[in-house]
Amino acid sequence: MYDWGQYEPMLYAGYKDPTKMEAMRIGLETHIAELEGKKQKVPPGLYAELGTLYLQAGSSDKAIAMYTNERNTWPESKGLMDAMTRNLEKRRQAMAEVKQ
Amino acid sequence: MRSAIGALAAVVLSGCVAQPVKTDMSAFQAAAPRSILIVPMVNKSLDVDAPNYVLTTVPVPLAEKGYYVFPVNTTKMVLEQEGFYEADRVHSQPPATLAKLFDADAVLYVTINRWDAKYVVIATQVTVEFEYHMFSRDGTKIWSEVKHMQWQPDNNSSGSPLAQLLTTLVSAAIARAAPNYMPLAQQANRQVFVIGPNAIPDGPYRAALNQKAR
Repeated sequence: MYDWGQYEPMLYAGYKDPTKMEAMRIGLETHIAELEGKKQKVPPGLYAELGTLYLQAGSSDKAIAMYTNERNTWPESKGLMDAMTRNLEKRRQAMAEVKQ
Repeated sequence: MRSAIGALAAVVLSGCVAQPVKTDMSAFQAAAPRSILIVPMVNKSLDVDAPNYVLTTVPVPLAEKGYYVFPVNTTKMVLEQEGFYEADRVHSQPPATLAKLFDADAVLYVTINRWDAKYVVIATQVTVEFEYHMFSRDGTKIWSEVKHMQWQPDNNSSGSPLAQLLTTLVSAAIARAAPNYMPLAQQANRQVFVIGPNAIPDGPYRAALNQKAR
């Protein structure tokens, strides 16, 4: 029903060797761009998984963008994606206030 | 990946042969979940890596069955942020609590009962056994299944007996060093979710696709 690319083997490789999670991030970016280019639906969870890899690499803006994509593609994820996005925005705001 | 599939084709697969009882799906149909949360696996095997490896094999067959499946690695991160580092602790939470936390319609708990390799005479026998329990967001158990699978290299190929013995010894040694469980885990999930006698009903996305095809 969906084109998963290398999602499963990449996640397996990442669990086996955590340094491979970066390869997974790049792999997901490429695969999602391909699907979007072909106007094909991105399988459930892939935007969010990429968002989480961004978050763990320290880019919360990119994470929020991916969580928003997940929510817009898959309405079932709305509750979780909104909650995660709200938390990240709150954290960003708190950090901005500390800096001032 | 391709070699893994090849290896699977070359071995003798043996599942449970006992005639399974067809279970009542009315609770599942009444709950009619659109989304399924897969929480980290409880591990009763001795291999500490098994839970993460098995976790990677569950989302794809379930999503292909037509459900929204929550991203498993993101789920893991969220649970850890909530203080749940141990799968045993996650499994001890009422399904309704987890469903509410993620806004999921159903929660799937998987336990790894077996994940081991045994060196039998000249072949390595690999065994996996998984237990699955799914609950709806109100806490009702809507589906469960146990899957036991085993494989060992097929010795029926031609060639001189000595050459054959050497080949088998070599492949058994390789299998013993790094037994390849993954094709077996994938096969177990496929049988349980898709082709088995108690396979879960098609989810909304597959049902919509079937409607379109008609």
